[in-house]
Amino acid sequence: MKTFSYLVPKTLDEAVSLFESHSDRVMYVAGGTDVMVKTKQGKIAPDYLISLKHLSDLDKVKMNPDTNELIIGALATHRTLETSTLIRRQFPIIHDAVQHIGSTQIRNVATIGGNIVNAVPSADGAIPLIALDGVAKMYGPNGERTVDLIHFFEGPGQTVLEAGEILTEIIIPSQSSHTGGAYQKVGRRAAMELPLIGVGIVLTLEPDSAVCQKARICLGVAAPTPLRTLSAERFLTGKVLNEDILIEAGNIAAEESRVRDSIRGQAWYRREMVSVFVRRMGLKCLKRIEETN
Amino acid sequence: MGTKQKYSTVGKRVPKLDAIDKATGRAQYIQDVKLPGMLYGKILYSKYPHARIVNIDTSKAEKLSGVRVVLTGEDIPNIRMGVYKDNPPLKAGKVRSYRDEVAAVAATEPEIAKKAIDLIEVTYEALPSVFDPITAMQPDAPLVHENHKTNILKMPWKLHYGDVETARKEAAHVVEKQFTTTWVTHCCLGTSGAIADFDNNNNLTIHTNTQIPSLAQKDFQETLKALGIPDKRVRVIKPVIGGGFGSKLDTYAYEHVAILLAWHARRAVKVLFDREEEFVATSTRQPTIIDIAMGCDTEGRLMFRDINMVLDNGAYTSWGVTTPSVMMMPITSLYRVPNVRYQAKCVYTNNTYAQAMRGYGNPQATFAIESAMDILAEAAGIDRLEIRRINSNQPGDETPQGFKITTCGLPECINAVEKVLDIEKPKTKGEGIGIASLIHVGGGARIYKSDGCGAIIKLDDFGKADVFTGASDMGQGADTVIAQIVAEQLGLEVEDIHVIHQDTDICPWDVGAHASRTTFVAGNAALGAAKKIRSRILELGAELMGITQTKLDLRNRHVVAQDEPEKTMPIGKLLRKAHFSHGGTMMMADFFYDPANENMGRDFRGNLSMTYAFGTHGVRLKVDEETGKVEILDYVAAHDVGRAINPMLLDGQVHGGVMMGVGYALTEQVILEKGRNMNPDFRDYKILTAKDAIPLTPVVIETIDPDGPYGAKGIGEPGCVPTAPAIANAIYDAIGVRILDLPITPERVLAEIKKKKGVDSCGIDPLTEKEQPC
Amino acid sequence: MSTEIKFNLNGNDIQVTVKDHWTLLYLLREVMGLTGTKEGCGSGECGACTVIVDGQAVNSCLYLAVELNGRCLITIEGLAGPDGTLHTLQQKFVEHGGIQCGFCSPGMIMSSKALLDENPTPTLDDIKHALAGNLCRCTGYTQIFESIQAAIDTGTEDVEVVAWKNET
Repeated sequence: MKTFSYLVPKTLDEAVSLFESHSDRVMYVAGGTDVMVKTKQGKIAPDYLISLKHLSDLDKVKMNPDTNELIIGALATHRTLETSTLIRRQFPIIHDAVQHIGSTQIRNVATIGGNIVNAVPSADGAIPLIALDGVAKMYGPNGERTVDLIHFFEGPGQTVLEAGEILTEIIIPSQSSHTGGAYQKVGRRAAMELPLIGVGIVLTLEPDSAVCQKARICLGVAAPTPLRTLSAERFLTGKVLNEDILIEAGNIAAEESRVRDSIRGQAWYRREMVSVFVRRMGLKCLKRIEETN
Repeated sequence: MGTKQKYSTVGKRVPKLDAIDKATGRAQYIQDVKLPGMLYGKILYSKYPHARIVNIDTSKAEKLSGVRVVLTGEDIPNIRMGVYKDNPPLKAGKVRSYRDEVAAVAATEPEIAKKAIDLIEVTYEALPSVFDPITAMQPDAPLVHENHKTNILKMPWKLHYGDVETARKEAAHVVEKQFTTTWVTHCCLGTSGAIADFDNNNNLTIHTNTQIPSLAQKDFQETLKALGIPDKRVRVIKPVIGGGFGSKLDTYAYEHVAILLAWHARRAVKVLFDREEEFVATSTRQPTIIDIAMGCDTEGRLMFRDINMVLDNGAYTSWGVTTPSVMMMPITSLYRVPNVRYQAKCVYTNNTYAQAMRGYGNPQATFAIESAMDILAEAAGIDRLEIRRINSNQPGDETPQGFKITTCGLPECINAVEKVLDIEKPKTKGEGIGIASLIHVGGGARIYKSDGCGAIIKLDDFGKADVFTGASDMGQGADTVIAQIVAEQLGLEVEDIHVIHQDTDICPWDVGAHASRTTFVAGNAALGAAKKIRSRILELGAELMGITQTKLDLRNRHVVAQDEPEKTMPIGKLLRKAHFSHGGTMMMADFFYDPANENMGRDFRGNLSMTYAFGTHGVRLKVDEETGKVEILDYVAAHDVGRAINPMLLDGQVHGGVMMGVGYALTEQVILEKGRNMNPDFRDYKILTAKDAIPLTPVVIETIDPDGPYGAKGIGEPGCVPTAPAIANAIYDAIGVRILDLPITPERVLAEIKKKKGVDSCGIDPLTEKEQPC
Repeated sequence: MSTEIKFNLNGNDIQVTVKDHWTLLYLLREVMGLTGTKEGCGSGECGACTVIVDGQAVNSCLYLAVELNGRCLITIEGLAGPDGTLHTLQQKFVEHGGIQCGFCSPGMIMSSKALLDENPTPTLDDIKHALAGNLCRCTGYTQIFESIQAAIDTGTEDVEVVAWKNET
């Protein structure tokens, strides 16, 4: 395998300055599960890997008691999210997704930040976070900035991160009451799958009615980057939700998806699954809202 | 030998002899073997599916520090691998598939070898390619082997028993369908590898994962002969094998390349595949296009079966080309069918080439036959179980191919599935039940002139036995079953038996671990040797104890007087007396067992196996009609195994076989696009995970075969044979759509559901090139 | 670049100099000669290389050796007692047919141990979820599940194992 030096900064500033002082062929690495595979395959050939693993406090998952925001440190592992009671109880949509990313061994090491920064269409950790209106917080040579997670992705493997910038946190804004979310990865096997398609939905109902106040439908692998199907979202907003309406929304979302053929699945099938799972996840959202209220 | 007889070790759930070594990480696989001064070999593969090699420049690779040898096809003597002798270990002149070996390097470190491979510059001139066997049969198709003049291999696969045409005219019901099956591969968790090492006198020792040590020895000897060193010794040492399933039934380029590199380097050379190479450069099951017609009379009795098959041979020829000889078995002999016709064409293409894989053609043929049985039953208005019962093979039958059915538990297997699966249980929407049966060789298979296996047993001073067997264990537990048989005969415990099967310098000859033959053939060989030892111990015991031989028995490590249980002598003591005395005797015996089965004649008639294994699988599943996804709710696999010598290992074979069969049915597929492997990893080649495991109940039907060791038949392959048709039949039962192509992906199921509902076509399935509705 | 690291291997504190790019699997197999841990794919898709780091199952083929510094590592070699007494899981895998070709077994047993250390009474679904990253081609998994369930019934701590939990 390609040789490299492994640098272990203790602070964000140290990490950024290490990056700047090693200009060429330098990369940040967190859990390393993607970086190591790509390095072994010769797809990347870094001379320096800057580990983010030992930066303090970026691996936490916690609520901000003042703002009621959920803060997910970018270095939180999928396993941390999977086993978090907070996530399981209050954000089951995130649990839906992270429990099926890779294997236990991968989830013990791989981070949610790494999954997002990797920005491959099949990395579906971001989908529920986008559906929850998540915001990405970054730190780099020019300081701190934030961007809505949906705007974080620019193309396969491409993000808004500038050279030396580090994704530090995902912030999930406070959720209204009567909100429910659900995510489904569609694959062939029950585990170890990259999604053929991923469907994440968050619905907020008006209190004491079935009228949809807010809808988020986010699809993975339906386009080069995560895709919010805005027409379908608009269609749902203001309507009394029932199965028929969700069927219609599913069809609209399927139309909006920009799926394609690959060895993992054919476009027509992916499109079909969008419409099926928008309905099914929508119903699951409604069920979860009912259960929590 | 009746079922009532009590045995001390036969029939017991004895743990595998090597399980502790494996559980503690001590077992040594080829990955773990290192020899002093060993070099690492690496192979360069073709960049084209079909091209002329214009030039190979190895100068940069040769200059790289640490590189000891660089070889191309031009540097090696004429060596031809495979049954058709069309495959040199390094290709010269032209390449015919992406997996063609173009050059090889030996270096001091694996990393250096890898780098050196990247430094070899090959100039190719692309040639027109052909990837579809039907196209390849056209007269104007590009020729894969110009010397061969045609892409159709000259194989004799054609038989006709009875009169199919007349039977067809007379049949009350006839069905006709085309089925296809695709490439799947073994996915042994331990990748392939070999270490070749010459001594100073040019004798070769090769450590290699092989199921055929004795035949491999011969292949390697041929390579030495080509190198100009005939009459040298070849010693084949098998490390612990990380899975076989048929993949190690031939010798391969990497083994011969290791030998060539070692010969030139004068050092030991190890070639070890990484996972991608394992996917790309080892062989597959053969893809088939099967046209089947089958008919029955008004009562549902089968009248004829007529099958035409095209097999994609790939660019070279290994055992894949002979799988039609095994497909003949279910075609002529699964159920009673008086008139049979079969023809198979094996066709060169620029795809990867096929090999043996668990079931050896039987899963493909059975997929077509058992799917068609259900279609025929429906056409005839007969219950699916009933039509199988009406036509079931019976003891005493001789099938049109001349197979003599001795014991046959097929009717019992059908009954068992009906009962255990509770077929009458009401079904919810989307639920369905499917069944399918199988016949397979269960008492060896006379593929070669010999179907033999040798065994040598040697006893030490302490009542422990070393058993040297020709059998190859690749994880299935052959050594354990042999130990049980020997322990049973000698009144010893299984832990007293040490089975040695790893080394051709020590072990007797055998034709290989194929055709589910090991328990039957190697078991009988060990039994034969053990019987000889037994009678000598009894003879000596009679002398020492002063009791008539016929009144003695061997039990609990003692010679025991049957009528006077207080009179005993430890076997160890008896052995010491035998050894430490004037005119002493060595307790050693050998036995060569070659079953009385027959080679198939020119008309393919002949009793291929001493006995036949039967089985029936039943599955209850649910189809999600919106996604096309199939969920297996319950699965019953009933097998006529003769006798379960070790029920735990037997269950293991069934569980593993069925799971492999479920993968074959639903998820597994080597995706080749214009000859290139598009999914050479476990992410996209989908063997099933622990989470996909199915609820499976194995049912053991014991028919106590008179020729089997303690009545046993082979069970290595049958588990994966009828799985796909059972599932396809259940899907039809569930939702009324018939899937004719493997694997049965959710896409295919959903497409058929839509077609049934009359939705328009939305394109062509790229894999079958059939119309795909949406 | 090389780095000197200290870690605890199967109960023993050790110190070793590693190259930054070495994987833990390379360190174990090629440098330390501990070949019980297997490489089945090298890309985290088969689980044959599973070891336990600080109580968690990880793929050693993707884990950098340098990251071991200050941590506790358990490999398959660390499970059986010094006198050869098998760990309950090993014993049950042997007795219940959980092992055929054996290539996946060390990783399978390590994943099982990590599961039972965290959750001594997993359901069958918990077991399947925990083992989903350990591929097996021989057994069809059923006898592996039975082995683990038998170990649960026995209790896993009746064999002295140097586990990370006992360290300070």
